[in-house]
Amino acid sequence: MPKSVRGTAPLLPKGFKTLEPLVADWVLPDSRARLEKRLTTPPAVIRAFYDAMLDKAPKALSYLAERQLGELNEAEERLLKLLLSLAEMGPAVEWYGTGEYPDGFDARRFKLIEQMPDNAAQGARP
Amino acid sequence: MNAKEKISSSTFAAQYPELGTGPVGTDVYCDPAFYERELAAIFRRTWLCVGRVEQAPKSGDFFQKALPTFGYSVIVARAKDQKLRAFYNVCQHRGNHVELRQSGHCVGFTCPFHGWTYGLDGKLVGVPDASGFFDLDKSKLGLRQLALDVWEGFVFINMDPSPSQTLEEAMGEQGRDLVGYPFDSGTAVFEYEGTINCNWKSMIDSFCETYHVPVLHRHSVKDTLAGPDNPYGRLIDCRIKGPHRTQSVWGNMAYTPNPVQGLAWQNAPGPAVTSGVVDAAVKLPKGLNETRAKHWSLDVTVFFPNWIIVMGSGMYFTHQMWPLAANKVVWQMRGFLRPATNAAQRFGQENSMVELRDAVLEDCNTLERIQTAQDEGLITEMIYHDHEIALRHQYHVVKQWVEGFEKNQKKKGKGAR
Ligand code: FES
Ligand SMILES: [Fe+2]
Repeated sequence: MPKSVRGTAPLLPKGFKTLEPLVADWVLPDSRARLEKRLTTPPAVIRAFYDAMLDKAPKALSYLAERQLGELNEAEERLLKLLLSLAEMGPAVEWYGTGEYPDGFDARRFKLIEQMPDNAAQGARP
Repeated sequence: MNAKEKISSSTFAAQYPELGTGPVGTDVYCDPAFYERELAAIFRRTWLCVGRVEQAPKSGDFFQKALPTFGYSVIVARAKDQKLRAFYNVCQHRGNHVELRQSGHCVGFTCPFHGWTYGLDGKLVGVPDASGFFDLDKSKLGLRQLALDVWEGFVFINMDPSPSQTLEEAMGEQGRDLVGYPFDSGTAVFEYEGTINCNWKSMIDSFCETYHVPVLHRHSVKDTLAGPDNPYGRLIDCRIKGPHRTQSVWGNMAYTPNPVQGLAWQNAPGPAVTSGVVDAAVKLPKGLNETRAKHWSLDVTVFFPNWIIVMGSGMYFTHQMWPLAANKVVWQMRGFLRPATNAAQRFGQENSMVELRDAVLEDCNTLERIQTAQDEGLITEMIYHDHEIALRHQYHVVKQWVEGFEKNQKKKGKGAR
């Protein structure tokens, strides 16, 4: 995990300083880790993350829309990963109001056997 | 167009009177003996999808596909002659796997047990210390090949050495009606797999009726696939084409997305299947939203026996069922999204994947509960709604297929005597 050290490279791109406190907990390696985070985080904590992110998400998405996967610097990649955590927590809040499935089929019984890389060029549409 | 009129104008039962309207037995869902008959009559002799051509584009490329129902895996390889071939991953010396990697590029396969080597065309090319064998005829000891054919870029195999139908015949009218859909544009891929304690056909059923959508999916897709104009989420259409069937699912055009969902829809490489948005740049093939309904979200297309494509204009995903027992199935869901054209679209892709997974998670408890009820004989008949006609159809097709096959075998047996 990256450390925030004053005077060195910033954790997130300019303009997203308010999201820096979220980096340590919510920048996660991949899709599998994001589901695990959702399943092990109390609903109120998910909600707080959701609210903090939603506020900045339109601006962050506009920022990343100008950039390409596979070409992001570390700060930009962290911003993307925060958004990907928001993509996972979105339904937890918007559909269920909690991280849990109401009629609880164990989400761990679904294995993500192939996942999309977070930050790799995907090639042009044929 | 008035959605209500459109939806309730006629019954499916009237369109397909041969399927009847009475209760349907649960025997085919829970009888272990019937399950064995299905394996022999269906799974060992129908075309089964194992991947896409993009998984082995160049000569020397290969991929493996495990077939959980049978315990072994097949290798699909492209040889120097550019032809794709499928082999059982079984060494002809003593039966070990000749390839352990899931995919890759190679000049041939070397069995990691005693080192027999095979070409990409399956021919046995090398046997260490060959002079110690007796009457070894290498030309007869190539990897065992399976029938392989390709439909719209999807690779299919058939375990029957002389299939009763070509793949084209098997895909039939429903296959022809989907030709031209941009299946090859779904290059951003993910796949989930789960083992569910239910019959393989029940899992197919769960994707084929929308009667449950407003109730079971009340937290998630209820307001996108049902709405004030269609409170019960009735189907736009159900079309039966031979052993296959397609359901066109209604979409609520007045739906306002949730905040994160809305951002995901804006930042996606193509319209999400539940968004009700149709990409005008995509020319829909005849068989997709065949009635050209305006309130359309997606089609659920089932190819007999075990493969479903769920298609919108901007993405699609497949479900495949691999039975392990009458009451156990390995389910695989593979998503095919368009590639992201900028970094923000990775967000839309992730949300599409998560929403799909969450919606299917909602289905699974019901499947395991009804299986228990069937196994215990607590329910012996299903009462089907008109809009559950796809379930009725599957029941009839499976029964007919199994009984027809067995009759044929008997005839053949008599002829041989
Ligand atoms: S089993 Fe493959 S070389 Fe012996
Ligand atoms: Fe469902």
